[in-house]
Amino acid sequence: MIALQDRKLALWYIAVAYIAFLIGTLMGLLQVFIRNDKLQLPAWLDYYQILTAHGVLLALIYTTFFIFAFFVTGMSKSIGTFGPKVRLFSWIGFWVTLIGTVLATAMIVAGEASVLYTFYAPLMASGWYYVGLALFVVGTWISSFALIGHYRVWRKNNKGELSPLFAFMTITTIVLWLIACLGVVATVLFQYIPWAFGWSDTINVELSRSLFWFFGHPLVYFWLLPAYIAWYVIVPKILGVKVFSDSLARLAFVLFILFSIPVGFHHQLTEPGISNFWKFLQVVLTFMVIIPSLMTAFTMFANFEISGRKKGATGLFGWFKKLPWKDVRFTSIFIAMAFFIPGGAGGIINASFQLNEVVHNTLWIVGHFHITVGTPVAMTFMGLTFWLIPYLTGRKFTKSMQILAFVQIITWSIGMLLMSTAQHILGLLGAPRRTAYSNYNNHPSAMEWFDGILTSHVTMAVGGSILFLSAMILIYIVVMSMFLSPKAVKVEDQVEFPMAESDKTHTPKWLENWWIWIGIAFALIIIAYAIPLSSMIMHAPPGSEGFKTW
Amino acid sequence: MSKNNEHDGLDLRGTLASVMVVGVIIVVMWVVVYMMYLGR
Repeated sequence: MIALQDRKLALWYIAVAYIAFLIGTLMGLLQVFIRNDKLQLPAWLDYYQILTAHGVLLALIYTTFFIFAFFVTGMSKSIGTFGPKVRLFSWIGFWVTLIGTVLATAMIVAGEASVLYTFYAPLMASGWYYVGLALFVVGTWISSFALIGHYRVWRKNNKGELSPLFAFMTITTIVLWLIACLGVVATVLFQYIPWAFGWSDTINVELSRSLFWFFGHPLVYFWLLPAYIAWYVIVPKILGVKVFSDSLARLAFVLFILFSIPVGFHHQLTEPGISNFWKFLQVVLTFMVIIPSLMTAFTMFANFEISGRKKGATGLFGWFKKLPWKDVRFTSIFIAMAFFIPGGAGGIINASFQLNEVVHNTLWIVGHFHITVGTPVAMTFMGLTFWLIPYLTGRKFTKSMQILAFVQIITWSIGMLLMSTAQHILGLLGAPRRTAYSNYNNHPSAMEWFDGILTSHVTMAVGGSILFLSAMILIYIVVMSMFLSPKAVKVEDQVEFPMAESDKTHTPKWLENWWIWIGIAFALIIIAYAIPLSSMIMHAPPGSEGFKTW
Repeated sequence: MSKNNEHDGLDLRGTLASVMVVGVIIVVMWVVVYMMYLGR
């Protein structure tokens, strides 16, 4: 077990994550009923306010706090207990992130920031909302540098050695996060804050959106890579095998540093202010980022097959039956992976330049991120939560909790299938997102979209309700594992942190040479962004004043 | 660096078939939306 102080820090991160999860999922439930016209919000609360809260609290706050809990625990386990400085800066980082979170959430609740998750200008929130976001990012940077400091101490004490795979992957994710945040920090500090506080009258909208997506796409990988860490490092241990290939795993991760950042324009393919050449270049780079995900898919199947064959499986797919289906730690993550197959395929469609026109700004996109971040990432985090909290609190993961965990992941899967299938189909038919009026104020053509069994508002509401039920079961499991489950006194009751062995003997050292990867990453960023961004600044269109449409 | 032979002798036919299935799903979904794009 890791040191008590490190456990305490991780538990605080988890506690905040699940408070955000509770509020965020409640906001999701409200939305499906509003869309169904079954719920009228009180005058002080509007649809865009709860949509903003849903996006920010789940996609940003829940994920980030959970990720740091996972990193703190895994780093403490894989490379040793934190030193006093690392611990101090980790706590400072935690509190600054939390203050930013509370400030931004307070602004949303006060109705001063119904600007949705992407906070696109010229929608203008209170300046304090942007200050909250800035503090949030600064807090995560402090925590990130604390973890990098911890890693550097290990490297100094183990000269010439490759770090343990968990630590390597954590640092890769953090490097990606630090570079990605440069975009959002630039736009929030130099554009949004002066504009929202009235120090400048107008904002360069195209530049602000481009800087947001410089951050926004790698943000997706900031969510995904911790899930991949679980897939590469935790799952093999549960399966009883070694990490399939240490070199492949490390290469996949560094490819994400290279190709997840210079790709933000694929979110802006319908925007007029960027020339087709730069859009096309970034579309090509986006397709490069598919490679490490396909490498991951191969590795996962290989793990499953090797494990199954070790247990006596024969035939082409005999190993499938031999997987540990009764172990919720595995089954949860397996379902998460399965959802990522259509999720990833949908992502390829979104990024395919012309095909983007079919799905852009439709409910398809909402369906897409519910079967990417909403299930592959979130359900991996759920699968980790089941054992991570008992591991940190020293409590049992009892039989009844295990059964409840199965109920939770099955209900989440059913709810998500119903809701996201409806959203995908409706999007293809033309139903828009980011609006409370997806049916164009009951226009007859639009109303027909919602007549199908799979695409009716009722199906979506049923799906959303099942998801909320599932979320509440998870909250119950979290509370029990934190405070109420019996203490694991006997050794056999103690919950382990499953971390697979990884054979580093054949791994080339250059895979952990950060100068190479950060250097290439910046070169690619300069190639993809320097000219279009400078052109947006030098040939800036007239700026826009702020609008408060709510 | 010595030749990496830690994977020699593994039976990964199922893995090959599985990644092919993933590939087919990607292609089918892409072609469906592409046909919709052409049709509009």
